[in-house]
Amino acid sequence: MRQDSVVRVDKRVEDTAMVWPHLLVIEFIAAMLWSIGLFVISAAFNAPLQDHQTPDCTPNPSKAPWYLLNLQELLLHMDKGLAGVVVPTLWLVFMATIPYIDRSREGVGIWFTSKNGLRITIFAAAYATLLCFSLILLDAFLKAHGYIEFASEYFPGGKQLLPNYVIPIVIMIGLSVLLVIIVQRIWDANTREWMIAIFTGFISVYLVLTVVGTSMRGPGMDLFTPWSVPATSQCYAPHG
Amino acid sequence: MLEIPAQIWQRTKTSYIWRSLFRHGYPDSRKNQSLAVFTNVFLHLHPVKVRRHALAIPYTWCMGGLSFFLFLVLTLTGTLLMFYYRPTTEWAYSDIKDLETVVIFGQLLRNMHRWAAHGMVITVFLHMIRVFYTGSYKPPREFNWVIGTLLFFFTILLSYTGYLLPWDQLSFWAVTVGYEIARATPFIGDEFSFVLFGGFQLGPNALLRFYVLHVVALPLAVGFLIAIHFWRIRKDGGITGPL
Repeated sequence: MRQDSVVRVDKRVEDTAMVWPHLLVIEFIAAMLWSIGLFVISAAFNAPLQDHQTPDCTPNPSKAPWYLLNLQELLLHMDKGLAGVVVPTLWLVFMATIPYIDRSREGVGIWFTSKNGLRITIFAAAYATLLCFSLILLDAFLKAHGYIEFASEYFPGGKQLLPNYVIPIVIMIGLSVLLVIIVQRIWDANTREWMIAIFTGFISVYLVLTVVGTSMRGPGMDLFTPWSVPATSQCYAPHG
Repeated sequence: MLEIPAQIWQRTKTSYIWRSLFRHGYPDSRKNQSLAVFTNVFLHLHPVKVRRHALAIPYTWCMGGLSFFLFLVLTLTGTLLMFYYRPTTEWAYSDIKDLETVVIFGQLLRNMHRWAAHGMVITVFLHMIRVFYTGSYKPPREFNWVIGTLLFFFTILLSYTGYLLPWDQLSFWAVTVGYEIARATPFIGDEFSFVLFGGFQLGPNALLRFYVLHVVALPLAVGFLIAIHFWRIRKDGGITGPL
């Protein structure tokens, strides 16, 4: 049996430091600063608490906690089960398998691995941010111009099959594959580098969806500019 | 003047009881610094020496450590909150109200728990980003990355289950969004949401289930995974650095 970690660990004596005091001092200061910061924030800002829950009174819009608003945003653009369960599950599984796909040891401990890695990160972030944002705008534009009615009438499978399943799946997979092809063409990307592209693309989409879901969705989950989102109506009567 | 305190200190340090607690002298020599770390149950997660590279804050952002720090803060504040909170639809909301108005420092306690929870989602996320971009998931750390993704998932779940507990309009409808998503799970949507929420609508069962998940099941799972995560960091040679 190979003794991997024993062989691989390379600790030279000359570039080491004693944990006591050098590391412990950093940990202590970090813990103190964050404790003080948390006290100050907690003294200044109260945790939100609204009225006692009542099932008869639905706020419009009802929003999930901010760290799940990316999923809630995704729900608006495809089937619920696909957006809320299948896509995040597949993404988590894919994330867990990253080290089993990219098995090289190139660039361990170096930010972005190389200059190329940094360029690819910037490119992938711009690519994903722009595309994701454009697609959200396009969706809002199409829906405002009778897309759903058009799809119900003319698309095979009506407004379900193509708009809720086929088109989103093709877009998500297609744009990811396109990203990998682009970085392979331009920067001759190896596995680590296209993995950087995919991961960066995901992080960017995740952030765009979170920001849009948090600060650009008003009543009816309609799209607004961040500075013109109307206040949530606390008691929305669906039939009133 | 200082002779008497110095004598007392000397006496204390050489006393039988003191030496049963600390088996080393003041850590101002290499030997005592090493002993201070590996004879202390709380510090022995650390090696005695680390590579200088591992101390660089621009490299680690301290985010892994701070995630753990926030986890400890949340455990502590959460335990204190448990003294005042009953997970039933009759009492949950009024117990939170009491925390805000009657319990001394109750509002501060709740605020700390709330903001630390938001903070932990952010620090865990940033930690994951740091680990990815520095290639720290590469051999021999593959499996520790897998544990890390699980910890990210559990952090979100912990935060989400806690969100329901105040039983106010905000928490109720936010969790309803999640309930709708769970019901949309392909093939097993109804069964899955029934087990998770204890019924076909958000009621007393959902509140109790989320509470038990939030204060017992998930923290245990996270604690277990954190132990493996830290242990593997040690076994794999500590924090990554250039080869």
